[in-house]
Amino acid sequence: MTANHSNSLFEGVDRWAVLLYLIIVIAGWLSITAASYDETAVNLYSFSHFYMKQIVWIGVAMVVALVVLLLDVRYYHMWAYPAYIGGVFLLIAALLFGREVNGAKAWFEFGSFRVQPVEFAKIATALAIARVMSEYSFSISRVGDLLRIGWIICLPLFIIILQNDTGSGIVLGSFLFVFYREGLNKWLCIPILLIAALFIASFLLSPMTLLLLVLVICTISEIMTSGEVRSRLIFLASIFLAAVLLALLMALIAPGVLDLYESLLCVSLLAGVGALVYALRVRIAATTLTLLLFFGAMIFLPTTDYLFDSVLQPHQQKRILSFLGIVSDPSGADFNVNQAKIAIGSGGLFGKGFLQGTQIKYGFVPERHTDFIFCTVGEEWGFLGTSFILAMLCLLILRLMRMGERQEEPFGRIYCYCVASILLFHVLVNIGMTVGLMPVMGIPLPFMSYGGSSLIAFTILLFIAIRLDASTRQFSVNKF
Amino acid sequence: MIDRQEGFSRMRTLQWVVLIIFALLGGRIAYIQLFDARYKELARTNVMRREVQYPPRGEVFDRRGEYLAQSRECYDLMVVYRDMDKRGFDTAKLCNIINIPPKRLKQKLADARMSPRAPLMITNYVSKEDKLRLDAASFRGFYTVYRTVRHYPLHVGGNLLGYVSEASPSYLKRNPEYKAGDYVGIGGVESAYEPQLKGRKGVKILERDTHGAIKGSYMDGHYDSLPVAGQHLISTIDARLQRLGEELMEGKVGAAVAIEPSTGEILMMVSSPTYDPDELVGRERGNNYMKMLGNKRNPMFNRAVKGKYPPGSTFKLVQGLIGLQEGVLRPSDMYPCRMGYTVGRLHVGCHAHTSPADLRFAIATSCNAYFCYVFRDILENPKYGSVKKGYEVWQEYVESFGFGRRLGSDFLDEGNGYVPDRALYDKRYRNSWNALTVLSLSIGQGELGCTPLQMANLAAIIANRGYYYIPHIVKQVEGSDSLDQRFYERHYTKVDPKHFEPIVEGMWQGVNVAGTSTAARLEGYDVCGKTGTAENPRGKDHSTFLSFAPKNNPKIAISVYVENGGFGASVALPIASLLEELYLTDTIRRPELVKRIKAMKIAYPAYDR
Repeated sequence: MTANHSNSLFEGVDRWAVLLYLIIVIAGWLSITAASYDETAVNLYSFSHFYMKQIVWIGVAMVVALVVLLLDVRYYHMWAYPAYIGGVFLLIAALLFGREVNGAKAWFEFGSFRVQPVEFAKIATALAIARVMSEYSFSISRVGDLLRIGWIICLPLFIIILQNDTGSGIVLGSFLFVFYREGLNKWLCIPILLIAALFIASFLLSPMTLLLLVLVICTISEIMTSGEVRSRLIFLASIFLAAVLLALLMALIAPGVLDLYESLLCVSLLAGVGALVYALRVRIAATTLTLLLFFGAMIFLPTTDYLFDSVLQPHQQKRILSFLGIVSDPSGADFNVNQAKIAIGSGGLFGKGFLQGTQIKYGFVPERHTDFIFCTVGEEWGFLGTSFILAMLCLLILRLMRMGERQEEPFGRIYCYCVASILLFHVLVNIGMTVGLMPVMGIPLPFMSYGGSSLIAFTILLFIAIRLDASTRQFSVNKF
Repeated sequence: MIDRQEGFSRMRTLQWVVLIIFALLGGRIAYIQLFDARYKELARTNVMRREVQYPPRGEVFDRRGEYLAQSRECYDLMVVYRDMDKRGFDTAKLCNIINIPPKRLKQKLADARMSPRAPLMITNYVSKEDKLRLDAASFRGFYTVYRTVRHYPLHVGGNLLGYVSEASPSYLKRNPEYKAGDYVGIGGVESAYEPQLKGRKGVKILERDTHGAIKGSYMDGHYDSLPVAGQHLISTIDARLQRLGEELMEGKVGAAVAIEPSTGEILMMVSSPTYDPDELVGRERGNNYMKMLGNKRNPMFNRAVKGKYPPGSTFKLVQGLIGLQEGVLRPSDMYPCRMGYTVGRLHVGCHAHTSPADLRFAIATSCNAYFCYVFRDILENPKYGSVKKGYEVWQEYVESFGFGRRLGSDFLDEGNGYVPDRALYDKRYRNSWNALTVLSLSIGQGELGCTPLQMANLAAIIANRGYYYIPHIVKQVEGSDSLDQRFYERHYTKVDPKHFEPIVEGMWQGVNVAGTSTAARLEGYDVCGKTGTAENPRGKDHSTFLSFAPKNNPKIAISVYVENGGFGASVALPIASLLEELYLTDTIRRPELVKRIKAMKIAYPAYDR
């Protein structure tokens, strides 16, 4: 371990992860070029173009990656808390003295370039989480310890929400992924995920579809826990039948009072209450749990929907949407997403070829070199390109999990999982919004979206994981 | 901490979660890209064009409903280079229709080639007839955009109304909400009420087919927005008065302002020489603008609100009022005048009139000596201990009449005028000065500078016996109940209203009994007036006249200022009198006087060198 230790900086570095990183960065640069290329520009190599600027950023990111690899691995463990405190202070400073961009007071401006501290706060939070959870005495099943990691996440989250940049803040919620790996109770994960899923779904689906979805999910879970197929299906079917009958009846007696959706809502709520009373009396724990799940979902669904549509004024609705980081669209409806879908959809299997896209350039894809960069991939490289990029990102995330699993120290494992979860969340939300699966939130696609601070931050995030992994392997190589 | 086995199984679960998420994204993308043909179809037609829809600019009416500024339909001719007919087109015909030289068209098309997809303006101010001819000829790649152009049907009120032109690059820099090609009001009403007049632009998103031809509205106009027309304004101006004022002031340099005392509404505001605002609209604008810049009398300078003139004898009214309020003067006080006021070697001349005079007569006959006494008494009031303190008190009084500061009218470029402060004299005379040093202030000379608007406001203050409303040019904005609140507040001077009566009486006597203003007499309308003859270093004296009528319940307060016009009574007075006559009686009974004044041309060696 001593003699040949210093001769190779790259010893133990995971080549696959670095290779995947490089491929994604280069693909990102090509996409930025395509999105910002202007054939009529006088000087194509002028540094006023995004693609020329991004070359500089890529260069800086490479240097930063080298520095991260050079530092002794113990520093990351040692600096986890100071980095976290520093990150929180940066966030507060941005809130107080920062510059407002697109309504979020979350930027520092140095001359012509801007830095978003939240990008770096993610790294610091990941380090802090890894540090806390890797303590020998830490147990995820203890309430006190859960509260500790809760605090670590909520403090920056709170400041980010104050900055009006909730979209970036929600990323921290993705650490649930890590907690699950580290043994968080399944029964805590499921409701959280369900609420998140329902919440997103409530923006995308009609109330009727949502209600059907909830009924079906509850029935399936009930069947799985109780093992009784027949009776549960009959119960579900009778709810539907009763709802249809009620709707018909109401249409005859008092037309326009209850439509099909409303009668289904009434019947299923009544049936739910009845079943709950029954389950409590005969003490069937699993059924009670399912029913609680059902009522939780029901309360959540109609309230978001009802509150949203009837109680709140349009400007309040808008404010809440923007609070949640969902970008409001000035030209109405889902014009932007529609344009993004048109751009991707028009790519077909093979795409239109590099720099041949028309939608990106002459259509109205918003933020085409930053948040909507994936549209360029879709239009110019087609399904082959999009699936290639998806595969690369997927492999990188799986690779990170693998790297985490082979660490000897829990610190390294937890950190690797944190990185994987952050990347996964970004990919899901960013690509999801361009194809209309997710509401529009202004968060970048890792390594691909234009922007120095985002690229450098993701590079640091990733290379710390690579560095931690490399030390383990160095160590184990030298052990034998 | 969980055991290895459990950790491994959880890792497996998470791997599945990752794979499922990616499969979900991949599936959705595959559906959009491979199976849903709709998007390809949409993309083909989705090369859209965003057309800005310009609103018509709000129109301006005078107080009696006549058009002062009208919006007339006109068109911009635009081209998108890429959409042009590749085989060429009849350029001669196009040039002929829009009336531009072929060379210019060639130049414009060369510009358009640099950014082939961006719309570029070939020419603006295309008339409706020409637009229809263009439509009939249907040149591919060319299209017209509806705009409105200003038209000033009465051709009056150059500096008063301002004009409208394309926003300049520097304006765009300061006002990022404007885009290149937008029109913006410059000067006068057009700039002061720009936010109300401009309206809101709309946008139309058009869809085209594969060949680039416009197919129609995108998504049935779902994303379009309609332009909102600018609000109309009713101005306080009386167009008849304005036109007569401009005619009478022709050939003279100066300004005339008339105000309705009971509201502060500006009835007329002439700055002479003036220009026809229509000259600064349309294709000839550049040439006319350069011509005006070349005019040494500077027609684009709004003398009525920016000029700075010594008020001359009209300022004696203020002097008398301050004296009365301070208690150093009673209306019955008599002072002698033997061709002026003499102390030692200092002499302020006066004309021959009976002596001694009381306050009323001193005003009627415009006695200089009388107000030298009054001014000295104010400054040397033992109550204040020193002349300098006394001067400060005097200055405060003067400023309460609206002098030395902007009145806060709706003219954005209103001037301050100038009332010297004590520090100036302290500095200039190294602290050793007294009332005699600044004696010329007593008759409105010296360092004193007033805008014609401030002078007309003084006339309104006296007409109202002690207060004024901030003069303003707009009576009503379409769609709003009231103007800015500041135009409804009474502003009192520091002089008690009871002291105004003898001053008004003096002004009345000067017109109706005997004095310098007798020519301003209008039978049946107790006109009150005060002449002024202001010495100035640049040649002949300035002629000014300050007046209001009738004496009770005044309808109009007016100030006329003619540079180098000589005695107040010789030019300014007849102009003011004729304007009052028109406003009060709706007729002109002295056409030969109108003719004579119009014909009167004053020589301005200082300007026309």
